[in-house]
Amino acid sequence: MGATAMTAGTFGTASKAIGQAKKPIPTTPVKIAAVSFLTGAAAAPFGIPGDNTYKMCADVINKEGGILGRKIDLQSKDEAGGVDAQVKLCRKLILEDKVDVVLGYISSASCLAVLPLSDELGGLIVAYDCGTHELMEGAKSPYEVPKFKLGFRSKAHLGIDNIGLALYIKKYYPKTKKVAGINPDYAWGRDSWLIFEVAMKKLMPQVEVVKTLWPPLGNTDYTAHISALMGAGPDIVHSSLWGGDAVTFSKQAIGMGFFKKIRMAYSRGEPYPQEVGKDYPEGQIICCAGTHYFLFSPKDKASADLQKWFVGEYHKRYGKYPTYPCYHAYQAIYAYKYAVEKATKAVGGWPTIDEIAKAMTGLTFPTPSGPLTIREDHNGIEDCLVGITKLTPKYPFPILDKMEVFSAAKVNPPVGTKTVDWINSWK
Amino acid sequence: MFSALAPARTWVGARVFFEEELEMWVVYTLNALYFAALLFLTSLGLNIILGVMGILNLAHGSLYAIGAFMAAWTIIAIGMNVPTFFLFISLLSGFVLAGIVGFLMEKSLIRFMYKRTLEYQLLLTFGALLLLEDIIKMIWGGQAYYASAPFDLLGKVDILGHIYPIYFLFVMFITCLAGLFIWFFMGRTKLGIMLRAISLDREMATGLGLDIGRLSTFAFVLGSGLAGLAGALVVPTTPALLGIGMEPLILAFIVVVVGGLGSLKGALVGSLLVGFTRSFGIAIFPEIELPLLFLIAGIILVVKPEGLFGR
Repeated sequence: MGATAMTAGTFGTASKAIGQAKKPIPTTPVKIAAVSFLTGAAAAPFGIPGDNTYKMCADVINKEGGILGRKIDLQSKDEAGGVDAQVKLCRKLILEDKVDVVLGYISSASCLAVLPLSDELGGLIVAYDCGTHELMEGAKSPYEVPKFKLGFRSKAHLGIDNIGLALYIKKYYPKTKKVAGINPDYAWGRDSWLIFEVAMKKLMPQVEVVKTLWPPLGNTDYTAHISALMGAGPDIVHSSLWGGDAVTFSKQAIGMGFFKKIRMAYSRGEPYPQEVGKDYPEGQIICCAGTHYFLFSPKDKASADLQKWFVGEYHKRYGKYPTYPCYHAYQAIYAYKYAVEKATKAVGGWPTIDEIAKAMTGLTFPTPSGPLTIREDHNGIEDCLVGITKLTPKYPFPILDKMEVFSAAKVNPPVGTKTVDWINSWK
Repeated sequence: MFSALAPARTWVGARVFFEEELEMWVVYTLNALYFAALLFLTSLGLNIILGVMGILNLAHGSLYAIGAFMAAWTIIAIGMNVPTFFLFISLLSGFVLAGIVGFLMEKSLIRFMYKRTLEYQLLLTFGALLLLEDIIKMIWGGQAYYASAPFDLLGKVDILGHIYPIYFLFVMFITCLAGLFIWFFMGRTKLGIMLRAISLDREMATGLGLDIGRLSTFAFVLGSGLAGLAGALVVPTTPALLGIGMEPLILAFIVVVVGGLGSLKGALVGSLLVGFTRSFGIAIFPEIELPLLFLIAGIILVVKPEGLFGR
């Protein structure tokens, strides 16, 4: 049973609308471009799992008859090459290849450069994995929404990860006195630390920040950073290191006895225990960029069934458990599918891009991690799952223990309010 | 955030370091020596090629990357079903492949550059850098290669109450061996003396009947192999990824600038200077660690343009 068939009872399909179609449904395939890092440092942990999921979902949707009878023609594209290359690629996809939608982007820099093209070129773009909170926010609160008429992000921004970590530390480690940070020296790292630091100051004002380190992206030697952190003696170290950097840091830190004294709190550390294996240290705080975790079971039955199917199907096809980029890719491709079906119901036939965008605004649909809502600011909001790594005999890598889900309302700012302003307004 | 608070944070960082973190100096020193060791190996190759052949090889970082990928691939291919000794021998595969690539590069591209000006060399070696990166992508794909078996196998040791990975000490040991070998080779063997003669006066060396072509090829292969060895040694501690050679290339240039062109002693002192500045810099004033490194290099260039031990 496929993903759509399972949720048809809850959310309905557009089969009825097709019968009454006023606008004809084209017989040609729907062209979907999926842009992820297929080469480089971000390929193995994010790009390849995301791309695998796009392929899996397109295959399943096609086997179930496609979107309103139209098969998906999926075109995987590489996000490598820098921002200029991505802007050129996106222009080509929309203007020359005339794709119906561009789903993509892992890097925040790519998203910031490409999303404005949606309105400029009149093409639908759905950002699927990039984290920066600045993407959909205005210069100051309150700001007008949406920022882009045809640009969306089918997930929550990095605010949830870092607020979630601060809330978790307050609940499980209330005696924390000193924290430190090691984050990559660019927008992603700086933004992640900013949100965490502001949230910690608000939630636990007694906590002192003893060290903030900014290693460059792609750093191969963390020994100096590890020793500096050990010298400063924090209880917990916040980090948004990712990919090879996160693995390198962990490996070298294990070798230097770091984890005997200090606990890490990773804003998006969910993929790495599976990547590193049984050597990954226990007792580390890990956030899942939402509730994207293969052992998490959502409360609503439709999502719980989907999760069971999703984890099993992905593992069957690729031999690994899905990590958070997989869930993000699912959200993006199904956001498009459900928006098209919703718009078709309203207009009676294959919708225009504007009509799809209108349907995507305020759309709620089931995902393997629970129902997802894309708000009027065109940004998704999600609950956030945080847990602590623990080895068990069942898996060859540590899994998450003491899992805590913080509701979307607790970790996402209201529409039109900047994240930092919202945190500062907490009583 | 950076500009306004950096001086205050730096001062606070320095005070905190001397009051509370001084007991960590043993580890900071070991880290500095480890980083300097890797840098010494990388800059040694760059220095030999620059000193003997007068070629500024921008593709040196790509040769480092080839060593890293080759060693990672070999370690993964060998797996854990062989005696541990072979895993460490497999690190030499990085040296061998980078040397072979160096040989091909010298024969096909570099040899036409000896009489050209620096701009031609930079253009050509930059082109070689791009070409080699694409070849790496073609052979090994875009994914990361994790090959930490040698790092894991050696385990840890207690040094004055601090846990330290034995693999880092192994890297320092290998670097010492390589340094001593190069010192002996360049200073005591006939081949080494001939290479030094070329670096001192190419015209005169030609006049004396030295086979400049073959000696240059040899120097380029040796320099390339050393870059590959450095890449191979680093790969058990970090995954082999596209672009892995960029940071070492930049730092190796700083070492060559600071230490002086063609000087073994200069490469050693330059590497130690960079290693210690980085290790203690990150501990005491992390916000200005990298600018400080470039500032030191800049001051040395102004005061002693030929480098600390340059001719």
